[in-house]
Amino acid sequence: MNRDEIDELAAAYALGGLEGEERVRFEALLEAGDPDAVRALRDCEDTLVGLAAAAPESPPPAVKAALMERIAATPASVRTLPRRSRALWPVVLSGAMAAGLAAVVVGWSVSSTYEKRLDALVQSAERLRAELRSQQAVIAILRDPATQVVVLAGLPPAPGARARMMWHAQAGGVFVATGLPAPPDGKAYQLWAIAGSNAPVSAGVFTVDAAGTGSLAVRPLPGVAAVNAFAVTLEPAGGLPAPSGEMYLLGKS
Amino acid sequence: MPPVAPGSESSTALIAAIAAGDRDAFSRFYDLTAPMAFGLIRRVLRDPEAAAEVLQEVFWQVWQDAPRYDPKRGSPEAWLVMRAKTRAIDRLRSIRRRDRTFVAPVDESVTQGSPDRAPDPAVVAEDRGLIQTALAQLPEAQRRVIELAFFEGLTQSEIATRLGEPLGTVKTRTRLGLDRLRGVLGRERLSAT
Repeated sequence: MNRDEIDELAAAYALGGLEGEERVRFEALLEAGDPDAVRALRDCEDTLVGLAAAAPESPPPAVKAALMERIAATPASVRTLPRRSRALWPVVLSGAMAAGLAAVVVGWSVSSTYEKRLDALVQSAERLRAELRSQQAVIAILRDPATQVVVLAGLPPAPGARARMMWHAQAGGVFVATGLPAPPDGKAYQLWAIAGSNAPVSAGVFTVDAAGTGSLAVRPLPGVAAVNAFAVTLEPAGGLPAPSGEMYLLGKS
Repeated sequence: MPPVAPGSESSTALIAAIAAGDRDAFSRFYDLTAPMAFGLIRRVLRDPEAAAEVLQEVFWQVWQDAPRYDPKRGSPEAWLVMRAKTRAIDRLRSIRRRDRTFVAPVDESVTQGSPDRAPDPAVVAEDRGLIQTALAQLPEAQRRVIELAFFEGLTQSEIATRLGEPLGTVKTRTRLGLDRLRGVLGRERLSAT
């Protein structure tokens, strides 16, 4: 990997926007202590510190007061100490008198290396678990015989648009759409559930990527028992409590 | 507040003292760095109450995690700013998720009225002169990708989608923008010391 690539990864990582395989790759470099990666990240982070420091704002005094009170009420032993080793310091130190400090120093640095690696693994496991949970939720919806599949067809503003709603009244649903034009600035698509003669209920707001594809995970809608139809309208970006814009997609269940 | 050079001995020493349970050191570190962290959090979350909550969480983490601070990985200020940024963006995302799913929460009337979204950078720029000064020296295209990432928490591919630009272009602009910003801020730091 050349300098520019590493600098690119570091910049995106420092800004919090590095994803997927690139993120794994960059974190592996950091874990391995790659000097270019470590330096590049430090440079980027220091730049962002400079940016933050350019616009300080006095926090409300109550924040510090609450913190100092909370700290005063915390016995030192309750604090999160570095896993394993720090709590063992007193034991380790007394042993060190006899065993020789050198051995301890080596042990300390080895164990802290492993701790860091372990921390990174724990974090990546947590990310994967969260991803798995959301995938499992989707699969559970798809496998349930009570799930209905509603096909939505494009209306005059986007005749080529199509969408599917996999809907389960208790578990919620998964909605995918294709062929929608990119919404104008400040606008987004809003999905509506229509039950009987009741007013449409918002099922969420979504936008589409450059290919015109969008998706939405929909939570169960309280108070909406049997949905007769789903519809998509173009609304202001945050969505509205009731539809106001043109209808792009409609499908009856 | 006097500017503290990242990695200056004092802040590193303070973190070491905090790690050892020194409450006075925590108090001094807070006084030194909280305005910087709060300024950043406020830029992400406009609602002052949510921002104050996030600030408190961040410094509570500082107190708890100080023993795990590793100076090899960066300055205490960077350690703090990255935490403040992550927490503020997490809060922003949870607010947006709540808005997007639109499942009426009990306090909907409250959340609907609160201007929690990331503010329009152009509007904020007016009352944030200094950040504006630094960012204004970047070409518009570079400034935009940094603002979207740092203050709105968008990932690189989300930025590409939002701007309708190829991902590679976004990556390059991010790197060039940060490079340029480093130069701008470096000049200011030199003139301040």
